[in-house]
Amino acid sequence: MKALENQNLKNQNDERLQIEAAQEDPARFAELYENNFERVYAYVARRVGNREEAQDVTAEVFHQALGGLRRFEWRGLPFVAWLLGIAANVLSDHWQRFTRQQEVVADDVEQIGMEDDIEQRALLYQLVETLPADQRRVIIRRFVGQKSLREIATELGRSEGAIKQLQLRGLQNLRVRIRGNHG
Amino acid sequence: MANNSLADQLEDAIEMMIAEPDSAPPKVDLRIGELLGIAAELRFLPDPEFRATLKADLLGQSHAVPVTPSVNVRRELRNGIPALRDPKLDEILPTLFGSGDGTYPVHRGSFVISAMIHAALIAVVATGGLWVTRQTQLTPHTTSVLLTDISPYPLPPSTDKSGGGGGGGDRDKLPESKGTLPRFAREQVAPPTLVVRNEQPKLPAEPTVVGPPALTVPPTSQIGNPLSAIFQPPSNGTGLGGGLGSGSGGGIGSGEGPGFGPGHGGGTGGGAYRVGGGVSAPRPIYDPDPEYSEEARHAKYQGTVLLWVIVGPDGRPRDIRVQRSLGMGLDEKAIEAVRQWKFEPSMKDRHPVAVQVNIEVSFRLY
Repeated sequence: MKALENQNLKNQNDERLQIEAAQEDPARFAELYENNFERVYAYVARRVGNREEAQDVTAEVFHQALGGLRRFEWRGLPFVAWLLGIAANVLSDHWQRFTRQQEVVADDVEQIGMEDDIEQRALLYQLVETLPADQRRVIIRRFVGQKSLREIATELGRSEGAIKQLQLRGLQNLRVRIRGNHG
Repeated sequence: MANNSLADQLEDAIEMMIAEPDSAPPKVDLRIGELLGIAAELRFLPDPEFRATLKADLLGQSHAVPVTPSVNVRRELRNGIPALRDPKLDEILPTLFGSGDGTYPVHRGSFVISAMIHAALIAVVATGGLWVTRQTQLTPHTTSVLLTDISPYPLPPSTDKSGGGGGGGDRDKLPESKGTLPRFAREQVAPPTLVVRNEQPKLPAEPTVVGPPALTVPPTSQIGNPLSAIFQPPSNGTGLGGGLGSGSGGGIGSGEGPGFGPGHGGGTGGGAYRVGGGVSAPRPIYDPDPEYSEEARHAKYQGTVLLWVIVGPDGRPRDIRVQRSLGMGLDEKAIEAVRQWKFEPSMKDRHPVAVQVNIEVSFRLY
């Protein structure tokens, strides 16, 4: 327990140093982006329910964050909390333009326990990057590109059956890694 | 075999989930239920290309003033293809609306400032050209040439030095005969002559030559040129215009004018009258500035040209010669200018006379 607290403290210090470095030199913002992209995206994607809009809003969030980074004051909270605050504001503006969606997502927000869900999604997105290359290619084409197994097979020069097996093994691998991360 | 069956079931369920995202989850084997849950979450998996593009865009923004990206930038990131734009705007303003958009953050304010700066620069270039043109036009008159104005230096008449001369003849085949000069007078009514062509003039007058009346020579029996080598036969000389000698103008000798000896305009002593000896200096009343030659201007060449000039009784300069040359086309420019000058003529005994003067024309660059 003590070791976990020490680890958290170290992570906080590291993040604080990263923020201060980015405030001095905006080019250092890349590290903060890499560490928090999946969480912000997962938060936004859960609310808008659409990849294209989620990407649009996420881009807006990070640009606003970079623009306002000098105004950020460290108060002991994780940096992602500040980013999620920006995301909430951006979503609010977004919904004002699309009032119909606002009602749907507002209901959605009430029904879902937010924190764990976001973390699990963010973890899943990160774990996709750790898959073997052939499995990762199939997963990305299937779920991001929404291509059929036949299209993927043609594109990668493999049989449809082989692609089907790679999809299965990729999902199984993700399940194993999620369990491993949850200990 | 069992794995194939599992893969088939999973694929069928995923296919249904993607095709009908709002429908209820299909009933599947427990072994793939959890995998299908993961697959459902993966429907929102972010595009790796978007992730990398956004990072690059943020790094690009970090080098500029932090601002919110334009709508066009976000659309490009979202779709992975350029947003629809007006091609005419792309051609006119490629940075704002064309392919350059998205490389850097776009500030409309910067565009306005840039336009104002360009307008100011164009105005400076335009007015600068006018200013340069005006200066070029003024240069020859105001700054590049300095003339020596001789009017402040009128020399007082002198009593001991003068110059001038004269000559004449009536185109005889023989040179004029030797003899004594007639009387010097300020005005000549009749030129001296040895061979009288008109024996009975209606208005007889004493022959004289123009010169100082106080100048006297011992008389002899015959009027003639005292410098001539022959006595007989009598001859008026080979000149023209009356008088004796090889010159012209009613005098005696080889000069021009009613005086005696080589020289101009009357008097004696050679040459034209010089300032002094009762001869006043001419005063310029119209003296346009000379131009600078292009060659000398480029070489930034300066100096003074000295001209030898006869100013006639009409105040016009003539017989202009260069006494001290400067070169680079400045001699010609000086002559060209002085030729246009007009003088108040030199006066001798209240009469305008030709006079020889030196004129300095100085060329200076400022």
